[in-house]
Amino acid sequence: MQYPEPIAKLIESYMKLPGIGNKTATRLAFYTIDMNEDDVTSFAKNLISAHRDLHYCSVCGNITEEDPCEICRDTTRSQDMILVVEQPKDVMSLERMNDYHGLYHVLHGVLSPIEGKGPDDINIANLIKRLQKTPAKEVIIATNATPEGEATAMYISRLIKPAGIKVTRLAHGLSVGSDIEYADEMTLLKAVEGRQEI
Amino acid sequence: MYLSELQLDHYRNYEQVDVHFSPDINVLIGENAQGKTNLLEAIYVLALARSHRTHNDRELIQWNSEFARITGIVQRKTGHTPLELIVSQKGKKAKVNHLEQAKLSQYIGQLNVVLFAPEDLNIVKGSPAVRRHFIDMEFGQMSAKYLYNISQYKSILKQRNQYLKQLQRRQAKDLIYLGVLSDQLAAYGAEVTIARREFLQQMEKWAQKLHQEITKERELLTFRYQSQIPDDQLALDTEGLYQQFQTLYETQQSREVEQGTTLVGPHRDDVTFLVNGKNVQSFGSQGQQRTTALSVKLAEIDLMKEQTGEYPVLLLDDVLSELDDLRQTHLLKTFQNKVQTFLTTTSLENVKKEIISAPRVFTVTNGTVAMVTTEVN
Repeated sequence: MQYPEPIAKLIESYMKLPGIGNKTATRLAFYTIDMNEDDVTSFAKNLISAHRDLHYCSVCGNITEEDPCEICRDTTRSQDMILVVEQPKDVMSLERMNDYHGLYHVLHGVLSPIEGKGPDDINIANLIKRLQKTPAKEVIIATNATPEGEATAMYISRLIKPAGIKVTRLAHGLSVGSDIEYADEMTLLKAVEGRQEI
Repeated sequence: MYLSELQLDHYRNYEQVDVHFSPDINVLIGENAQGKTNLLEAIYVLALARSHRTHNDRELIQWNSEFARITGIVQRKTGHTPLELIVSQKGKKAKVNHLEQAKLSQYIGQLNVVLFAPEDLNIVKGSPAVRRHFIDMEFGQMSAKYLYNISQYKSILKQRNQYLKQLQRRQAKDLIYLGVLSDQLAAYGAEVTIARREFLQQMEKWAQKLHQEITKERELLTFRYQSQIPDDQLALDTEGLYQQFQTLYETQQSREVEQGTTLVGPHRDDVTFLVNGKNVQSFGSQGQQRTTALSVKLAEIDLMKEQTGEYPVLLLDDVLSELDDLRQTHLLKTFQNKVQTFLTTTSLENVKKEIISAPRVFTVTNGTVAMVTTEVN
């Protein structure tokens, strides 16, 4: 027996989400049928609004409802520091720190020829244009500590360092409040390499 | 350390087996396809929770059975430890001293084994890729830093090759990015080269000693690491090697773009084994090649002893039949009274009996193991 068409279509839609396969999609679809109508309606509205009402900021590339985004419009923030991250999620994490008061730039990915992402496919050109317009004193690169993240950091630094802009990279090492006992060998190695005089 | 007892339940062609081993030499005799290698494999699996012959654990379970169980008792200087490994359709369960271990990594290392199987001859006879794989596996076990550097190197290499292909097809044109990838590759390449050189020196020391013992000092085994960096430059430190690689990437850039692949780096290096100054792969006899493979592989025994303080258990699968009497004698003498050794053979004729003092002999017939009570001597 086949599922009736509405539910089959719903299952198909759920399966488009990352990490959701046939079984989970079926479970979610049947759950959706039993949900009350108001919840379902607002769920559908939220889905559409997240897609329609959100844009990428034309300055920094972060997700926003209005362009330019809240952070880029905030004149109380230090305008001569730009922190470069891979994803909009990373901006949220760094904002939670509540200690950085400069601007951001979101790359939407890292350089990775295997995934077909070259220098023109991520948001680097905008960063250069932005720096040409209003030169920052320091660019902090906060890409992930993967080989691709490192390569992207090195690439950006080679592009902007000749303009006399200070380029820095986040530190590697032990996470705060953690035990040395539980750290893996490579983290320890990086921590020893990056030791500081006290 | 040694394995004093082994019990198998529903393992491959063994219904149920209970054997007590000698701490010295154990000989497993049997016709082909009776289960000799299966028994060696069971010891290997008990030690490392995976097989050297298959990636599919279900093959380890006897036909029509739900699970296979291997139990054994390891004797060390500090006391004895019961080990248990259960392989079922759902996965593996490992127990040390009757306590289940949450992680297999906590289990592995209780029993150390070194296995020499006929396919290990490829270390000498095979392609450079086989030798690189062998040294990467060996050194990776000894150093987490090496494992990290080699895996970073490989993932950057993949990206760089892909990018070179795009440059070749003119789908990309940014040479600054190529420069970044070259520098990254040069940095990890320098680390990998330095570590390989150091580890190979340690390994050479032990392999050389073994090789001399097996050949009664007739043959001198030496290693030569072959790299695109000239030999006299190989002694440089990491920084020096990094600069060497950078220069090579600069000079080779147009060729690399033309061919769409990375032409320089440790992924193209090789090790040559020399016996009395001659390359064994091209000029050695079958016996010399086999002895070289043995010496290189069994150098691991001494490396493990250095690290853990105890000798591992040695498993020799069908090795003796292809060595002459002299080499057999010296191979077994080298490890006698030091290393618990298991060896398989189709008949005792192949083994010069007087060379082994009181081996424990087992006959393997169609999934049963019986101890031969009359001592061979």
